[in-house]
Amino acid sequence: MDSIVILFITGLLGLFVGMRRQAVLSLSISILGLIFAGIAAYFRGTYISPLASYSGYIPTPSNVIILLCVVSILAVLGGFQRYKQDEEHTGDYLSLLLFSLCGAIILAQPNDMMLFFIGLEILSIPIYVLVGIEKGSATSAEAAVKYFFTGSFASAIILFGIALLYGATGSFQIIEIQSNLAIGIWQSPMAMLGSLFLLAGFVFKIGAVPFHFWGPDVYQGASNAVLMYMSTIVKIAGIYAVLNVFGQIFRDSYFFWIDLIALIIVLSMFYGYITAWKQTSFKRLLAYSSIANAGLMLFALSDILNSNILLFVAAYSFATIPLVVINQLANPTQDAIANWEGIAWKNPLVGVALVIALFSLAGIPPLAGFFGKFSLLLAAVPHLPYAAILALVASVVGVFVYLRLLILALKKPTVQTKQSLSIEQSAVLLLTTLGSLSALYFI
Amino acid sequence: MSIGTSLDFFLFVAIALFAIGAIGAMTRKNMIVLLMCIELMLNAVNLMLVTFSTYYGNGDAQIFVFFTMVVAAAEATVGLSIIIMAYRNLKSIDIDMYNQLKN
Repeated sequence: MDSIVILFITGLLGLFVGMRRQAVLSLSISILGLIFAGIAAYFRGTYISPLASYSGYIPTPSNVIILLCVVSILAVLGGFQRYKQDEEHTGDYLSLLLFSLCGAIILAQPNDMMLFFIGLEILSIPIYVLVGIEKGSATSAEAAVKYFFTGSFASAIILFGIALLYGATGSFQIIEIQSNLAIGIWQSPMAMLGSLFLLAGFVFKIGAVPFHFWGPDVYQGASNAVLMYMSTIVKIAGIYAVLNVFGQIFRDSYFFWIDLIALIIVLSMFYGYITAWKQTSFKRLLAYSSIANAGLMLFALSDILNSNILLFVAAYSFATIPLVVINQLANPTQDAIANWEGIAWKNPLVGVALVIALFSLAGIPPLAGFFGKFSLLLAAVPHLPYAAILALVASVVGVFVYLRLLILALKKPTVQTKQSLSIEQSAVLLLTTLGSLSALYFI
Repeated sequence: MSIGTSLDFFLFVAIALFAIGAIGAMTRKNMIVLLMCIELMLNAVNLMLVTFSTYYGNGDAQIFVFFTMVVAAAEATVGLSIIIMAYRNLKSIDIDMYNQLKN
């Protein structure tokens, strides 16, 4: 069966099982569904999805679906402590998460603008709800309101871009749009305006610089459990959609657009890392770090065939999730970096996972984050030499941001206290650490 | 175009509606009005899609319009419930009151 169908059925089942108000039962059903969806993607073979209604359909690559499912399993497990707090709604939260994952899988390989828009909305709408799960908190309400309005404004902008591109080319299928743009239509004002609107909407969604302002507020107001899901899955699906849509649309106007992309990349990286310096809230720091990483991901647009974006997004997700889990331990109620002091000494697993995750995010050599960054920049250097050099400079600034966090976490506390971990949290920390280290195996 | 008007006419109306929606979404303070502005933007795009569909003589865009309507309905549902949740917390639907998140 198709992974999307499995996830959808699991989500529906989860809604009914959720009525029994047994958090562990809901959790195990969701995890089983996610595992089966990953297995179904792996053993897909020549199976053709029911979504393939026409001959130009290209299914989402199996490895992307498997990555999305694995990251979702980690996010569900890591956030389970929060989800089980209100046992009435555990099933609802997990089902919303699964429905949104269906959208992410559709969005990761759009062949048709219609499918692409639907995927984007299926991904976004459940996340608007999930951001507001702390119903009694004013900050969570504020984050939900801000995310909803900026997100749906961006959707409308993207839709306008799609309509203009349709007006210029007369088709919604991305392959046909490309072949029509190739015969010179890309120079028409309508096609250019359409591409520009589409690009603006995308930059909004993945949170790169000119339209990044919603990121820090939304990340700060969202609960840690939702943050784990939101900061990884949206970025993965978003960057694949960018590559697939703009890889085709920009193919014949590459030299016209690439300077604009380079500007977005450099601004995002410098702005993200420099602003992350003076943050006092961990969630805001993570948001600025994710702005910088969104900029880095866009390097893949410079050479789509040769760049290995999968490695980069996998490394980014495996480094972000443990940090948010540790933030959940350090800041159960507040949200301040000062509470991270000495967290690494309270539990050996936390200490190891924290050091590995921060080194991987900073791009220190033997870890996955380094190889992700290295392969992206290596493919980009022939096309965007100056942007690549500036990105390296910005990365050095980024290393200091992460080291500052590391030094705080490694400060020896005067009073020895122990921090106990639940089973699912230890599993997440262990798996992500192994994931970051596994890059050593491939050398 | 059987009713004697040109394609441009419909496109100008659609772009004007979209611009009104976009400017409203950026300048208005009341959240209900903001939601209406976003709906206006989506509906302007619908008009545009139908116009292009007539111009090219294929029905793809008319099917797209149905999807857009469904998405707009889903967004309105979620948006209104988020506004209700926010109102319960801050007793206001003025977007400027929501400024507590900062460093």
